[in-house]
Amino acid sequence: MSSLDWIVLVATLSVIILYGVWKSRGKQSMESYFLGNQSMPWYIVLLSIIGTQASAITFISAPGQAYTDGMRFVQYYFGLPLAMVVLCITFVPIFHKLKVYTAYEFLEQRFDLKTRTLTAALFLVQRGLSTGISICAPSIILSSLLGWNLYWTNLIMGGLLIIYTVAGGTRAVSYTQTLQLLVIFAGMFLAGWMVVHLLPENIGMKEALQVSGKMNKLNVIVTDFDWKDKYNIWSGIIGGFFLALSYFGTDQSQVGRYLTAKSVKESRLGLLINGLVKVPMQFLILLIGALVFVFYLYFRAPLFFNEAQLARIHKTEHGAALSALENEFNSLSTTKQHQVKDLAAALDKGEQTAISTAQQALQATEDKAQHVRAEAITLIKNADPAGDANDTNYIFLHFVVNSLPKGLVGLLIAIIFLAAWGSIAAALNSLASTTVVDVYKRLYKREESPEKYVRMSRMWTLIWGVFCIAVAQFASGLGSLIEVVNVLGSWFYGTTLGIFLVAFYLKRVGGTATFTAAIIAQVVVLILFWMEVVSFLWLNAIGCMLVLALALVLQPFMKKTA
Amino acid sequence: MQDNHLQEEKPPLFPSWNYWYILVVAWLALLIILFYLFTKTFS
Repeated sequence: MSSLDWIVLVATLSVIILYGVWKSRGKQSMESYFLGNQSMPWYIVLLSIIGTQASAITFISAPGQAYTDGMRFVQYYFGLPLAMVVLCITFVPIFHKLKVYTAYEFLEQRFDLKTRTLTAALFLVQRGLSTGISICAPSIILSSLLGWNLYWTNLIMGGLLIIYTVAGGTRAVSYTQTLQLLVIFAGMFLAGWMVVHLLPENIGMKEALQVSGKMNKLNVIVTDFDWKDKYNIWSGIIGGFFLALSYFGTDQSQVGRYLTAKSVKESRLGLLINGLVKVPMQFLILLIGALVFVFYLYFRAPLFFNEAQLARIHKTEHGAALSALENEFNSLSTTKQHQVKDLAAALDKGEQTAISTAQQALQATEDKAQHVRAEAITLIKNADPAGDANDTNYIFLHFVVNSLPKGLVGLLIAIIFLAAWGSIAAALNSLASTTVVDVYKRLYKREESPEKYVRMSRMWTLIWGVFCIAVAQFASGLGSLIEVVNVLGSWFYGTTLGIFLVAFYLKRVGGTATFTAAIIAQVVVLILFWMEVVSFLWLNAIGCMLVLALALVLQPFMKKTA
Repeated sequence: MQDNHLQEEKPPLFPSWNYWYILVVAWLALLIILFYLFTKTFS
């Protein structure tokens, strides 16, 4: 990175930290620390919800996903707007009415202590581990691309935000997320504009879209059904609905965001407008990836986007074989550069036969290039079995670091940090609130002074921050970390959602039946995952349905009071 | 803590929240149709 990039990066991060610290001033109570005195307007709630969900990986991985697999990943979000409606009808009014600090408090009022504690424990395990991995995933990519030390990158990625999260609680988290998102949106818009700007002179947005579409990267809607296919319209609407309902309705990192709203109205507006903007927002982020694909048709792409890994393999006995594959790939890239110009010219003239011929020629060369890439990936796996052989998450940042002008590189790297901080800060706040409210205050110290609770809240925010950084330091050997985070969530979300849906909709079912159903469902979900019966997205729906069905079946066998 | 969140407040723009829910679902349906046309147009 150039000096200008460093200045932009350090200045952006410093402004956010100072802003967070500034927003932390004033005397705190537990109510202000975890609920922000329920004073937030809908637009702060909205940006906070978006900032919590959109982690660094969202901005790194999504464009890479579109580059390799096309834009169909957007279907993953189709269930989200429907989930927002259900949340607004059921979850939000109840949470506000009961004046809860955490979603799990409600479960004791509805069922019993053991169901509340089980659900809180599932959340703490899942969120604690996945937050650690969320710190590590972007750190690995940045350290590999920029040659930074991984441990220091982890420390900065997960450590600096602790300053304002510990000091200011949920209020500092919400306000910094708002500022972070404004910077992120501006940076991503500039990056998208630059991709098109950097294309050859005669290629504008329309031509880039045409070429991308002809190469099957604009496959937004896939209607074919397959249980094992992760991204089609059916898994997106059904599986995505259960995932979103579970995430926004039962994950304290999100519930804690809209509980800060000053009224039910403000919570609902924040969630519903999130339902309106989330899908178009993801569409635009993915579109950047589809355009980066076009960029790399005109300009040579590397054989493997994680070039640090490539350099390591070159130093092994597999180096010569890798060089041969690189030469072959480069030769195919040169051919593609000519063929894409032919395709663009044919599209410009609108001659169907010429378009079809040019498209087939380019696709054939692309298939050959992908075959060479697959051979290279196999070789990389053999040479370094512990390394990550998936370079999807390096694609966008490779483009940023190697193609964008000075200053903008620093801004885009800052965006990765800001996106990470937004979701990690909300996670730490929710981990602390669950620990203090559902464990410490409920099980150990029911009557303490307000000052003591605030001190404990700050202490637990710090402890969870240190824990997540420690997880991050050990997580680098787990392979594809994004997949690990998604899978980890799908293990627990279905069961947790099932417990809440029983609470809301099956009034006759008691705590013991629900608790037993949840334990059985959790075991079944883990077995299904282990046996690889379905894609992970379906585990959310299956876990949830199992809890609902088992709770209904078990209830007649329980005592009336249970 | 304020108690105004206990009141069922009227939503902005529409007479009831049901219109907002319909708007969100209709917007999703419209997006899916537009994305389908987008996919077909550029494929």
